[in-house]
Amino acid sequence: MNGAEQAAAEARKQDIRSRWLLSMPALLIIFVAAVGPLFVMLLYSFMVKGDYGDVKPGEFSLEGWTSVFFQRDIFDDTLGLADAHLSIIWRSIQLSFFTTVLTVILGFPTAYFIATRPPHTREIWVFLVTIPFWTNLLIRTFAMQQVIRNEGLLNNALMWLGVIKSPLQIMYTDTANLLGMTYVYLPLMVLPLYASIEKLDFRLVEAGYDLYATRFQVLRRIVVPLVRPGIVAGSILVFIPSLGAYVIPRVLGGGKNMMLGNLIEMQFGSGRNWPLGAAMSITLMVLVMVALIFYVRNASRGGAGHV
Amino acid sequence: MSRSRFDIRAQPGFGFITLFTFFALYLPIAALVVYSFNGAESLSQWGGFSSRWFVAAWQNSAVQDAAIRSLVIALWAASLATVAALMAALATTRTAPYRGQTLKYALINQPLMVPEIVTAVALLIVFSRIKVWTGYSGLGYLVLAHTAFCIPFAYLPIRARLESMDLTLERAAADLYATRWKTFRHVTLPLLRPAVIAGFMLAFVISLDDVVITEFVKSGGQDTLPTYMLGQLRRETTPEINAIATVFLALSTVLVVIFFFINRKKQ
Amino acid sequence: MTDTRTTAAHGGAIGLHGIKKWFGTFQAVDDVTLDIRPNEFFTLLGPSGCGKTTLLRMIAGFELPTEGQILLDGANISSLLPNQRPVNTVFQNYALFPHLSVSENIAFGLKMLGSPKAEIGTVVNDMLRLVHLEGRGDNPVTQLSGGQQQRVALARALAPRPKVLLLDEPLSALDLKLRKSMQMELKRLQLETGITFVFVTHDQEEALTMSDRIAVMSAGTVRQVGSPWDIYDRPAERFVADFIGETNFLEADVVSVSGNLARVRLSSGTEISASFPADAAPTGSVTVVVRPEHARAGAPTSMSALRGVVHDIVYLGTDTHLHVRLGGGTTFTVRQQNARSGHCGFSKGDTVGIDFSDGVAQILRD
Repeated sequence: MNGAEQAAAEARKQDIRSRWLLSMPALLIIFVAAVGPLFVMLLYSFMVKGDYGDVKPGEFSLEGWTSVFFQRDIFDDTLGLADAHLSIIWRSIQLSFFTTVLTVILGFPTAYFIATRPPHTREIWVFLVTIPFWTNLLIRTFAMQQVIRNEGLLNNALMWLGVIKSPLQIMYTDTANLLGMTYVYLPLMVLPLYASIEKLDFRLVEAGYDLYATRFQVLRRIVVPLVRPGIVAGSILVFIPSLGAYVIPRVLGGGKNMMLGNLIEMQFGSGRNWPLGAAMSITLMVLVMVALIFYVRNASRGGAGHV
Repeated sequence: MSRSRFDIRAQPGFGFITLFTFFALYLPIAALVVYSFNGAESLSQWGGFSSRWFVAAWQNSAVQDAAIRSLVIALWAASLATVAALMAALATTRTAPYRGQTLKYALINQPLMVPEIVTAVALLIVFSRIKVWTGYSGLGYLVLAHTAFCIPFAYLPIRARLESMDLTLERAAADLYATRWKTFRHVTLPLLRPAVIAGFMLAFVISLDDVVITEFVKSGGQDTLPTYMLGQLRRETTPEINAIATVFLALSTVLVVIFFFINRKKQ
Repeated sequence: MTDTRTTAAHGGAIGLHGIKKWFGTFQAVDDVTLDIRPNEFFTLLGPSGCGKTTLLRMIAGFELPTEGQILLDGANISSLLPNQRPVNTVFQNYALFPHLSVSENIAFGLKMLGSPKAEIGTVVNDMLRLVHLEGRGDNPVTQLSGGQQQRVALARALAPRPKVLLLDEPLSALDLKLRKSMQMELKRLQLETGITFVFVTHDQEEALTMSDRIAVMSAGTVRQVGSPWDIYDRPAERFVADFIGETNFLEADVVSVSGNLARVRLSSGTEISASFPADAAPTGSVTVVVRPEHARAGAPTSMSALRGVVHDIVYLGTDTHLHVRLGGGTTFTVRQQNARSGHCGFSKGDTVGIDFSDGVAQILRD
């Protein structure tokens, strides 16, 4: 290396060094208050639970992990499946799945409709979707509660119309969770779908009609395959927060219809089993990673599909 | 002719579903706002139009306490996050790829990829241990936690602006004898100002809105407005809750509108 | 509304009766009446904005005429939806479905019509062979060149055996050599399949090469319909004469008419014989057109129809154009073939006489 090259390499090294320095504050804060604690939590999941919560320092065990999936029978001490935990985990997955489906059913036509408005009107529609999106999660959950509770809007309206005689018990059921999550996460499905549909070349739709396709066939064979990336993006944005939902099932589901988030909280509250709670949290993270990988794999499987 | 052209874009029923969706999106919020003006004691009946609950909420010391705490935390967190994000954005943009860049990027955006409850629980574990060691149980934990998850929100708009910024302006400044610091201060920073403000606003709203992490990290008596409301929801609620929610709603809407117009003006 | 989707094998006849189309206050088509015959290669020719594409889209069903009717083999299809008309389009940008392979694109129409799988397979293979794309059936369309994509678009539109094929400037994106070979291809395809082709273009040479008949359009109206020979040699009016090929315009006064020739006096004073449209005997002042290749330049004589000075010579390889400035100041172009290499025989500044045969000059309709 001659002098000029050496100087350039030095400058580059200096540049990289100063860039690392610049990003230090952000990285440090995030490490201390977001990423680092995850590792501590991993450690805790292998420790022994303390009598009043927290853990016994220095003692390790796999109890935290096994209790996620298994439990000991009280009477004969055999190892069986932890039905309560597993049913809650399964319920969380199911509810998240159905929430995603519901948001697609409502969100796709909405996104499509908005994307096919004239350009100036489109902005207003998008703006109208964005406002609920920025509203506090708790407020939206609370608003939904006002609608579905026994003296709420829905029941009052149905009774006033004479459709039902006594109020439907929707609060504190799985349906309440489903409705709440669909309501809260719907904008997260509409926005990426809208972005995708807006980019669609509608001359392809014209070609479809020219070739004898009906409106439904055009939708199914041309529009949907081509906006698949948007559908996938929206699904991720809905499924993942749904899996980890905490506030919504707490407010709307009550004590009986817990989702994984509430189950985790319980271990740090009345359950006093921090290692179990830690293990469950990590389980939740793994589920989220699996879902992400599944979706991303699906999204990249594009190109020449089938008619 | 009844129609002037065959609309290739129209799909039957989609308009109806869209209207229903918007109706469903806004009805609960509208109901909430309307009920905040309910003169009656409980939420079950309508008792005439009244602003008593706004007054009650305003005078409620617990509410005042929580509101102030929310604002303090949000201001601190948003400020710290924006500064950190600005530095991080400068560090990670407009450069050839180097070792560790993807890792950095993933770290900065971590809060967006991990469910809130997981982070909340992890923080609970760590902070409770630290509380035992140091005996400190002030607002520091909350500010730190909020700053952490606010950083990606402040980072994204600043990074976007940096990537689309014209390098030649800074080169021109250097050509005119400006040092790197002066270039930054007099050229880069002013150009970045709208993005920095956007990042700050975003971080501020995100911090104000946070429920889950705050709920797990706070010590007793350290309610923010959202956690106060969460606590109240357990009991039989009065329209006072609606009043607080309505104010909150108004604040978010104003911020969104401002945001929308700033973006519009850019185009 | 009857569903007239079929897979008929013979070319259909299109009737356009009194078609008018407004887009808001802008009139795109102003009273067009045309009869397109079965099995013919019919071209709509005109500059951009003349309404030819709008007319095509109305035949396809994507626009509805504000007034008038569209008939297919005598049946009124004006109110049928595009997917109900046995008419297919080759779009200007091809509009191939990017998520489908070549075969799947070609099969699309038949699949929508519900044809059995076996039949679809056979037709797709036939189509691939027809457009010389055998073996490329499984390729994604995004990997093909422009010319190949164009052929897929053609195959896709032909596969359902429509009665009429509409082509919206399909060759405009291709380079010259490819365009010329595709012109031959299209002509061959039309003859082989017997389907009526309605072709839209602004390129008059293209129109002359391929068409059985041409409709020259301008500002929403049809100026002239006829065979390429009709259009070129017997332009009905000034616009057609000007738009097609190169023309020389001469002002003249009618002296006498006898039989199918008229005697007219040019501004130079000379008299020549000119043909005129059969239905209108010309009188008074008229405009006469002469094609550059029909005129001969030589040494000026007293018999010369025109005299002028050569002010520009343009060498074009196969021909030479002589731009001659006439007495009145106008320019007359003479095109002579470069039959042998070397000098064309004239220099700038030469005084020349221009002649043409009897009847070669055309009197334009007013």
